[in-house]
Amino acid sequence: MSLAVAGLSARRGSRTVLTDVSFTAHPSEILGVIGPNGAGKTTLFECAAGVLPFDRGKIDNDLLFYVPDAIRPWPDQTVRWTLTLTARMFDTQFDPSLLDDLDLVALQHATVGSLSKGETKRLNIAIGLASPRSVLLLDEPFDGLDLRQTRQVMDVLRRDAAKGRTLVLSIHQLSDAARVCDRFLLLDHGKSVAEGTLAELTSRAGAVGLEEVFLALT
Amino acid sequence: MRLRDLVRKEIAELSASRAFWLLLVIVGLLTGQAFITAVNAYAEASGVGGGAAALAQGLSPLDGILTPTLGAYDLAITLLFPFVAIRLVASEKSSDALKLMLQWPASIERQIAAKAIALTGAWIVSLLPFFIALMLWRGYDGHLYAPEVINLLAGYTLRFLVTAAIALAAASLMSGAANAAIVVLAFTIGTWALDFIAAGRGGIVQTIASFTPTATSRGFERGLLRVDVVIVMLIVSLLGFAIAANWLHLGRSIKARLAGTAVLLILAGLGILNVLLLVRSSFDLSENRRNSFSAADESALARLPEPLTITPFLASEDPRMMDLENNVLVKLRRSVPELRVIYPLAGRSGLFENDARYGEIVYQLGPKRVMSRSTTEEIVLDTIYSLAGVRAPARETSSYPGYPLATRASGAELVFYVVWPIVVATIWFVRRRLSSDEVT
Repeated sequence: MSLAVAGLSARRGSRTVLTDVSFTAHPSEILGVIGPNGAGKTTLFECAAGVLPFDRGKIDNDLLFYVPDAIRPWPDQTVRWTLTLTARMFDTQFDPSLLDDLDLVALQHATVGSLSKGETKRLNIAIGLASPRSVLLLDEPFDGLDLRQTRQVMDVLRRDAAKGRTLVLSIHQLSDAARVCDRFLLLDHGKSVAEGTLAELTSRAGAVGLEEVFLALT
Repeated sequence: MRLRDLVRKEIAELSASRAFWLLLVIVGLLTGQAFITAVNAYAEASGVGGGAAALAQGLSPLDGILTPTLGAYDLAITLLFPFVAIRLVASEKSSDALKLMLQWPASIERQIAAKAIALTGAWIVSLLPFFIALMLWRGYDGHLYAPEVINLLAGYTLRFLVTAAIALAAASLMSGAANAAIVVLAFTIGTWALDFIAAGRGGIVQTIASFTPTATSRGFERGLLRVDVVIVMLIVSLLGFAIAANWLHLGRSIKARLAGTAVLLILAGLGILNVLLLVRSSFDLSENRRNSFSAADESALARLPEPLTITPFLASEDPRMMDLENNVLVKLRRSVPELRVIYPLAGRSGLFENDARYGEIVYQLGPKRVMSRSTTEEIVLDTIYSLAGVRAPARETSSYPGYPLATRASGAELVFYVVWPIVVATIWFVRRRLSSDEVT
């Protein structure tokens, strides 16, 4: 199932944080949301997930699941408890292969509060993958991971997308984004600046590579 | 998603919190201390060790054992349970787990209901020391009257629900656990102040104050079950839980959440107003019928031809006023269909009163008025009967025998101070070990 967001606008107090943002993400696709700090990437995800109010706009898919960045949910519970809980809350069975895929087998009985930053990040990705929702929004899925782990998580995400899920990732590391995403949504100051494949963006910006596109359009 | 799954999750969260296990240990120690002191005092009043025994009729386990023992829970409800309840919401807010929960198929209202159920379960578990105390008391051959026990437990459970609801609402509204705790403590202290200020004032202030946690407990501790109090406490609990759910809807704008709160407050206010105006039923569940006149007196008072107005010219701190309020007015309110009590000296000190009428109690029934100075039940009743021109029914002597028990609390120290903490600590330790291997 695809995700279509149309004309999303949001304000925080008197400050406008999103202005008329529209984009579409298709099944089996990995859409990367990129942009400078403060561009509105996290706000866009939170509005789309319904955990932050927005003023105008339409989101046509309520079967999405969003995993925020840097959360440490239920710190007194174990990794396995947290993943099992997530699956149970969606009336599905927890798939233990997730632990293997994200290198969490040795940590499954550790409490969430005792995990390092990278371990917590892998748990959060596993939480997202444990949900059966057809669209998954992950905020900064590679932040805190080393190179090997980043590659490993990218593989896991690609395999998951290949099964038909729509993945929307907020990524500030452009090299990571270029490596894993099929298409990109470039945000700047709460506005959608560009949307398309890397080839489309480079062609439009007259630049070579995603970093050049980023610098040219923001 | 089934509510059962959500409740299981909340129970897991509660049992993972050290605060809950610490609370269990402290409640056991407090209950033990209260019970041992109460039993020993009761034994002395009953003439243990050759001392003079008090009048047997005056020795009631409700006053002597049950109420002081449950007093330990008064402390727990006020100072310990709010933190356990606050943690259930505040930790999920601060860790952002709430953002995940808001996306679950279960509504946040359902999730708050699950928290309320889990907290009530925790309350029942925390009552174990009280039940142990009851078993020990029965083991000493102490007397228990089931309606009194059940009524007292119901009262404290309602009080717990109100506290839990306010704690969850505060945790939802405030940005951190510490701020929420301050709000709950401010609420508690506010009700204490209201209770103090309203004593003997009459009017709306005293009516409102009769629903503070302390005031409601007093009723249950007398064996009185007031239906209006029960309904108001349930409304306040539901209001707290509903406000908590309303403020956890992070996807709603602040304006929408404020509007939702206003609607909830108006609905609750209307509900409470209706209860105050329409519900007057109460049940005297005390074994010695301390909240009731004799059946003959109740029958005679129910047939008074006109509304009765009583105006005591007494300050609220005056012991005579307290005597009148606690031993006579409480019964008259249950017996006389149309009773009005006017407190002309509300909020004034009796010590410096120069009012010539000070000490008078004026009774008015239709156009007829009479003044008396007595606060004794028999004289008050005779005054009312003479005013109404009816013959006073023959006085009945109380059939309540009283239950003296000259036995000290042997073995209770071992149970509450040694066995209970060890059992709680062992269960906590085993649970921790098991949870690390658990596949939920």
